[in-house]
Amino acid sequence: MRSLALVACFSFALAPAFADEARPRPLGDAPIFHEEAEAAGIDSVYDGPWEFFVGGGGAAFDCDGSGFPSVFLAGGKNRAKLYVNKSKAGGPLKFEEKPIDLGDPRLLDNVIGAYPIDIDGGGHMDLFVLRVGMNLLLKGGPDCSFTLANKEWGFDGDPGWTTSFAAEWEKGQKFPTFAIGHYVDRNAPGSPWGTCEDNSLYRPQPGDKPDYSVRTPLAPGFCALSMLFTDWNRSGTPSLRVSNDRQYYRGGEEQMWRIEPGKTPRLYGRADGWRHVSIFGMGIAEGDIDGSGYPQYALTSMGDTKLQQLDPDEGGRGEFPVYRDIAGELGATAHIPYAGGDKRPSTGWHSEFADFTNAGLLDLFISKGNLAQMPDFADYDPSNLLIGQWNGKFAEAGDLAGIDGKRTGRGALIADFNLDGMLDILQIDRGSNVALFRNLGALNDGGDPLPMGNWTEIRLVQPNPNRNAVGAHIAVKTGTRTQVRTIEIGGGDASGHSGWVHVGLGTAERAEIRVQWPDGEWSYPYRVFADQFVVLDRAKPQAEYWYPGR
Amino acid sequence: MNGRRGLSAVASAIVCVCAAGAAFGGSWDERVFTSHLDFDAIAAAGPSALPALIERGRVLFKAKFTTEDGAGRPKATQAIIPTRRKIGVNPAFTRTSGPDSNSCFGCHNDPIEGGSGDVVANAFVSEGFESAQFDNTDPSFSSERHTIALTGAGLVELLGREMTADLRATRADAVAQARTSGAEVRADLVSKGVRFGFLVAHPDGVVDLDSVEGVDADLIVRPFSRKGVFTSLRQFTINALNAHHGMEAVERFGARWTGSHDFDESGVPDAVTAGDVSALVAFQATLPPPTVKADLPEDWRVAAATGAKQFASLGCTSCHIPALPLKSLVFTDPAPYDMAGTLRAGEVRKPIVIDLSQQPFAGRLAKNDQGEWLVPLFGDLKRHLIVDDQVNALGNELQAQRFVERDVFLTPRLWGVGSTAPYGHRGDFRMLDEIIAAHGGEARFSRDAYLALDKPTRDAVVAFLRSLVIEAP
Repeated sequence: MRSLALVACFSFALAPAFADEARPRPLGDAPIFHEEAEAAGIDSVYDGPWEFFVGGGGAAFDCDGSGFPSVFLAGGKNRAKLYVNKSKAGGPLKFEEKPIDLGDPRLLDNVIGAYPIDIDGGGHMDLFVLRVGMNLLLKGGPDCSFTLANKEWGFDGDPGWTTSFAAEWEKGQKFPTFAIGHYVDRNAPGSPWGTCEDNSLYRPQPGDKPDYSVRTPLAPGFCALSMLFTDWNRSGTPSLRVSNDRQYYRGGEEQMWRIEPGKTPRLYGRADGWRHVSIFGMGIAEGDIDGSGYPQYALTSMGDTKLQQLDPDEGGRGEFPVYRDIAGELGATAHIPYAGGDKRPSTGWHSEFADFTNAGLLDLFISKGNLAQMPDFADYDPSNLLIGQWNGKFAEAGDLAGIDGKRTGRGALIADFNLDGMLDILQIDRGSNVALFRNLGALNDGGDPLPMGNWTEIRLVQPNPNRNAVGAHIAVKTGTRTQVRTIEIGGGDASGHSGWVHVGLGTAERAEIRVQWPDGEWSYPYRVFADQFVVLDRAKPQAEYWYPGR
Repeated sequence: MNGRRGLSAVASAIVCVCAAGAAFGGSWDERVFTSHLDFDAIAAAGPSALPALIERGRVLFKAKFTTEDGAGRPKATQAIIPTRRKIGVNPAFTRTSGPDSNSCFGCHNDPIEGGSGDVVANAFVSEGFESAQFDNTDPSFSSERHTIALTGAGLVELLGREMTADLRATRADAVAQARTSGAEVRADLVSKGVRFGFLVAHPDGVVDLDSVEGVDADLIVRPFSRKGVFTSLRQFTINALNAHHGMEAVERFGARWTGSHDFDESGVPDAVTAGDVSALVAFQATLPPPTVKADLPEDWRVAAATGAKQFASLGCTSCHIPALPLKSLVFTDPAPYDMAGTLRAGEVRKPIVIDLSQQPFAGRLAKNDQGEWLVPLFGDLKRHLIVDDQVNALGNELQAQRFVERDVFLTPRLWGVGSTAPYGHRGDFRMLDEIIAAHGGEARFSRDAYLALDKPTRDAVVAFLRSLVIEAP
């Protein structure tokens, strides 16, 4: 039997390599990926001068109603591109480039990243495009078409060097609120040091169509490379976490803004319990890795990755935003390359929790890549795939999984690109084509990959406003365990995805799902069978199933 | 995985691996597992290995598992998903929440190995999650269930597989048509003459399942258990080994899914291998189906013939369908529709293939004009509501089971019913007349018609049912 052979191979074939590294190996499955960007038809390079050392993101979203996620990829000095997913379910990945006609093709230059969001509730996914210069609101239309909607939606583009974005639907609002994070003000005296630009909050103005004519500054700005609206204390009112790059700020730190409807944003400070943390913050990931209902946050940096957890003693149950770092105790520091022998510090960018083995445990992906020939940091710096273990810790499997190698990772899109129930990775590398890693299954000692655990992929539907239920919590119960996912727009490294929400179910054949909708109301308990795509419509007491058309 | 020693406990065709635990002590060794079976070796050996495999399965079915085999689950519950006890330690045996037996044969023994059992052998079924340990027969805690005979189970599983394939093909066609036409497509779900309601496929790929009846929403026909919640003999076997014996199979409770080789802390790592499970599957799959009692006394023969006609005219055969057609008798292990935690085809180099047409019982199966084998199960592998407001004696459970409501049950297969008294999912009914009278819900019309018959005619129906027996091969 192959699974027994897998155990044997770990015991013998791989033991020497691990012995050298002295690091724990996954006790259960490790995924195995196949890199197939070129074969899939993607040729997109993110590159450029200093402004494009950071960023390097993109968006994954269904733009043609097929259910398959297509991708919009930033190019930096190169033109951003849209690739429409033409893959077949379970098959090799296949994409076709589709030009975006915005009238002025230069608008797709200088793109840092993008996030998908249905801003106007029109049923087609729109894009917020982060740029060096004016940011873009691209209104989605049929068949992956887009039109520039800055003017129509009263948005001035919040010009600058935009490196992060997050969005939420504040209570009572028809349209989303944007948080826009900026980097260095290149024109300020003394630039770049100590010249981080202020960030911005754009709240929708009253009316029947989006109107973003009013900007609220979020000051001070500390060179925000990642932002995320997060309901950290389960109050129902998300706050805005901002991860900042200490390379250029003075007196800065990691930030969290209290964003309450109708009120002026206010920073959490010492009096609230917020602690000073200063890192080269590059990417925020949220995940409830312990099922406590209070999420943990993985913050990438140069050197240590922080894994923050609400301090049970001082943070209580969300009374105070007091966090402590648990990366070390959980084996998730990712501070130096785990393979290749280079012991200089790592440079981490995109971070994201996801279940790559369908074991029912959250794993942590961290893209890695030297900023640009920085000699104090590792040159060979493979991306991490920290596999969640049953003891609550993580075990590195990036090399086992085949996502190592000399790359210059930046943003990443984690999605099930071929709808086979297993999560794939599109990593955007600086200076070379993207890496598109198709998840083949569980590693099997050179044999055919093994099928993984059971899974479900979920799509939420509710009436407008916020038809895609951004901010909803999805609780998936199997046996005595409950896994929670949250629909978010933001985080990572200038990269975001929408669409199916993937949850690994391990050996569970059934799951009960309850949704806490963005307004706080709990759903029916939806009963679903594993290995199915399910549509949970707020108006319907039973789950609907969905099947790909190809 | 322990080192392979090439031991052969049964026949040279089966490659075994040594079991963990104390060294073999002598010919009086109490252990069942002095060696384990290697799945790949069995599959590679082909048909020549099957007799020994089936015999090994028979031995395991009758075996009384010991502590050194890994029996007992001190720190795990009976749940189908690996679940640890929150606190405390399970006792060696607990009649209610289990482990409640140390042998399959302890319950499945009437009238032959693999048969049914008396009420004394009833099981108490719970999900095993929140109320994992209970010392109470109150239905608030568990559902009491009478043992189902496994005779003919291989044929039943094959029927379930073919029906699943039919229903899923219907779904796929409907989805494709809806996408192509841009309009909703209603598709009747019918397989082997059994109707499972209908689905509506929308052009966007969404499938409305509100009108699906008697089968799970994933359209897998699960033909085993009173509620129809087990897909395969393999899945049933793994569940039962854990729940009843505290024997945990690697493919469900091993390191892949729990991070541990001894999840239940029995002290015996990897207690049941895939090959061991396959032996049990092979034994059960090849159990001969029930038959019609031979050499009936003349009065019984005449009454049974009359009763059979009445059984049909009453409408009983709308659910207790006399025979379902089966295209193929080739039983593959692993099964095609099992999910993670039960060995899947993609996890083995090649499957074990058991051609049931080579079994002696195949010669007793009739064929239809399409060359399909007719499996005389008197069932439909479909779930039905079996109670109503007036007739609700069978509505005595309080817990739904795996999404199946408390008063909905799989149509019992009546082949062998003459050998498996008492009757009903809990074995509450001593006589066939009583269980027929207990039918409500979807069976109410037929039940009322039966009760309206005169006594001799009702007796004839009973005579017919009593002629459906399990006999020793």
